[in-house]
Amino acid sequence: MSLTPHASLPRLAKRWCWAFLLLIATPGTVAAAELEVNEARLRLLPGDLPAAGYFTLTNTSEKGVTLTGADSPAFGNVTMHRTVNQDGITSMQPVAQLELAAGEQIEFAPGGYHLMLMKRTRPLVVSDDIEVNLHFAGEQRQRVTFRAVAPTAQ
Amino acid sequence: MHRWIMALFVTLWLAGCSEPPWQTKDISGLMPPLAFELVDENGKDVNADQFLGKSTLLFFSFTHCPDVCPTTLARLDAATQRMDEAARDDIQVLFVSVDPRRDDAETLREYTDAFGPQFIGLTGDKAALDELTRRYRVTYGYGEEDSEGNYDVSHSSAVFAFNDQGEARLLIRDSDPMEAVVADLERLASGA
Ligand SMILES: [Cu+2]
Repeated sequence: MSLTPHASLPRLAKRWCWAFLLLIATPGTVAAAELEVNEARLRLLPGDLPAAGYFTLTNTSEKGVTLTGADSPAFGNVTMHRTVNQDGITSMQPVAQLELAAGEQIEFAPGGYHLMLMKRTRPLVVSDDIEVNLHFAGEQRQRVTFRAVAPTAQ
Repeated sequence: MHRWIMALFVTLWLAGCSEPPWQTKDISGLMPPLAFELVDENGKDVNADQFLGKSTLLFFSFTHCPDVCPTTLARLDAATQRMDEAARDDIQVLFVSVDPRRDDAETLREYTDAFGPQFIGLTGDKAALDELTRRYRVTYGYGEEDSEGNYDVSHSSAVFAFNDQGEARLLIRDSDPMEAVVADLERLASGA
């Protein structure tokens, strides 16, 4: 079976066709289109120091989803972390997974949840677009473009 | 009569007879003056006396820290950008790495340069770091190493501020509003 839609289909119909194919191809999981990612940015540090990935993730579907991790072709190692502060002492904790109920939004932001991206596979500079794949339970992936920002970006 | 005294009191207060309170945490008299013996980002031995003459912000940190450390530095950078130039030039930020194993002079220099000329990297051996952190009643520690040798470093997230004579003045936290930080840094730079 070929997944390529007929070439004469108008653009919009083509997109719906793809969404439909994706839906039937992945029974029991939410289509990637029902997850919204905004403000995806990656704060670079000099050299090969670990970068932080921030974004807002909204589950616009009617079902809960579980974020389980991420990877990126630009980095050898990507993990989910949360910065915690206890009695004025701050540290990072690994986050195995994060559940989002239907309609729920979660923020990866400075001082809280973040992606930690290590071991660059190529040189990166500010304003580069960097591809990151978010992983969800049920083998689902969502490709997101992160914009590289300066160390002093807040 | 009462109202007249009240009005006089308010006038004198506004005129500066009584200083308005600091907006971040006042630690005057609660913490000892600035003192340390460390190694700077050029590999030279330095002590606190060499940094007198400017207001100093002291911050314990490490470079392999993707989230909270650059966030604090970015906030300090934003705060100093909002000050007028003369006041800005009076502020120096000492980034003390409590991870000397990974933070050699070159790493520190490259790191602080990425934030701006007012940021200066320092570190030291365990004895020097223990003495300094104990002095300001904070702790640091190392997390477990993963299979690739990476580890987290726990550290105090607050910034200690000293006046140009090295006297302790403020504890600035990430939760403090930007306006409060800017106002206090301006006042600190003006010699308070
Ligand atoms: Cu982290």
